[in-house]
Amino acid sequence: MEAASKGKAPLPNRLGIKGWAWAGRYKIERYLYTLHRITGFGLLFYISIHLIANGFRLGGQESWESLMNFMGNPGFKIGEYLVMAAFIIHALNGGRLILQHLGFTLGKPKPPIYPYVDSMRRRRPLTWILLALIMALALYVLAEFVLEVVE
Amino acid sequence: MEQLTFKVQRYDPEKDKKPYIQTFTITFKHGMTVLDGLIYIKENVDNTLSFRSSCRMGICGSCGMLINKLPMLACHTPIEELHTDKIEVKSLPNFPIVKDLVPDLTPLFENHKSIKPYIIQNMEEVEKPTAEFMQAQLQLQEFVQFAYCVKCGLCMAACPTVATDKHFLGPQPLTQAFRYCADRRDAGAKERIKETDVPHGVWLCHLAGACSEACPKGVDPALAIQLLKRATVADGFRLTRKKAQPSVAPPLEQKKPKVAVPEFTIKKPGAKP
Amino acid sequence: MREVHLKTLQYVAGIGIFFLVGLHLLISHLGSGEPTEWSSVSQRAASAGWLAIYILILIFGIYHGMHGIRGLILELSLPNKAVKVLNWSMLSIGIAVFGYAVYIPINAF
Repeated sequence: MEAASKGKAPLPNRLGIKGWAWAGRYKIERYLYTLHRITGFGLLFYISIHLIANGFRLGGQESWESLMNFMGNPGFKIGEYLVMAAFIIHALNGGRLILQHLGFTLGKPKPPIYPYVDSMRRRRPLTWILLALIMALALYVLAEFVLEVVE
Repeated sequence: MEQLTFKVQRYDPEKDKKPYIQTFTITFKHGMTVLDGLIYIKENVDNTLSFRSSCRMGICGSCGMLINKLPMLACHTPIEELHTDKIEVKSLPNFPIVKDLVPDLTPLFENHKSIKPYIIQNMEEVEKPTAEFMQAQLQLQEFVQFAYCVKCGLCMAACPTVATDKHFLGPQPLTQAFRYCADRRDAGAKERIKETDVPHGVWLCHLAGACSEACPKGVDPALAIQLLKRATVADGFRLTRKKAQPSVAPPLEQKKPKVAVPEFTIKKPGAKP
Repeated sequence: MREVHLKTLQYVAGIGIFFLVGLHLLISHLGSGEPTEWSSVSQRAASAGWLAIYILILIFGIYHGMHGIRGLILELSLPNKAVKVLNWSMLSIGIAVFGYAVYIPINAF
């Protein structure tokens, strides 16, 4: 379809990365999509640091213990907790995605009768239960970390 | 609410370098839709405002727009359901803007064409048709939901992958690919899976679910796409059962004999007993 | 390999990571002593079972991560002509990272 004026191409209008990040007024699954990406990045970043840190093992006990002293920093402890939380979110949400990507737990197609209820909305209670499980695990891990720091 | 404030995106390709927002104030009438508001603006305030509309009853899919940050059909959106007197209307995102609120839907139609949205069947019946193909109600229910698509493009506007990837097929073409693959009359599933099982194909869908939320006809593209993934996995690992050829309706002579009409219990006056 | 095979491997790797890393975390933290103490680290380094777990975690983890990044790069409108280059780059980087990472536990064993 040509633009109204001769030779003028239609103006590009893609949302770009903002379309990934901003979930706005969409529902919980869209937010989980963004969270899955963020936790994925976080875990990748952690894995790189973890692999580099493991390399210090090759330098023997002294090299390892000096690294562990450096990593005793409170900043690293908070980072460790965030990594645990990211792992819990990414793993449990990933489990949900694997099941749903293969068509399980979404139900069968139904002729649409108004008011329309799509499969995401039908299965939303399960998604909320999964989120509650994620929150419970994340809070449990947080409690463990706080106790460890306090001790 | 008595007065409505419409913040409408304007863009004239001959004059403007980028879109801008123009504000209009109109009087609210009970039962008004966003499309009614735009038509009022065009007829009484600014006749240069451009937008698409046709059926004004949610069946043609022409008036897709971004209304208060969600893609909706303007004719299908009563102002009262927005619960605000400030209505922001922009052109559908992820589609190029032709003018004002008119998107260029060519990418949608090109992607739709690429997945072969028609029945592919090699039977002689297709070349020399004698009767209709038989289809049981339960077989129809496997895909009929996805046949309600009106190609409005709202799902493409909502999809986060379409937002960044111009090569991604998009929710609408993928839904229609599954609609035809699931149709028992069709034998072209392998051909369609070849088009969708590609780097920018079905696997870039990560189940954000925004497409199903935006769809105004209850088509549920997210469900269709996940079912297409399941069909693709079955095809990829050769787990698909061969589809039986659809049967054709029998010729009229072979219809069941008529059931004899029973005797009337109440006789007409004067009739023999 | 078709996209469907790559994606199925992604799912399998994800499930594998979930169980193996879960096991790694549970045993390291529930076992006696501090898991990052040299004695604990040396003990695990000398175990064939742990070596096998580490190698499996590395295979699954590196594949899952590389495939995830590949998907993200594809979503940034990578042209179809560049997909082969992307695939080979991801494979090379993955093998290089695996090579470096697997050297450590094998050396310590």
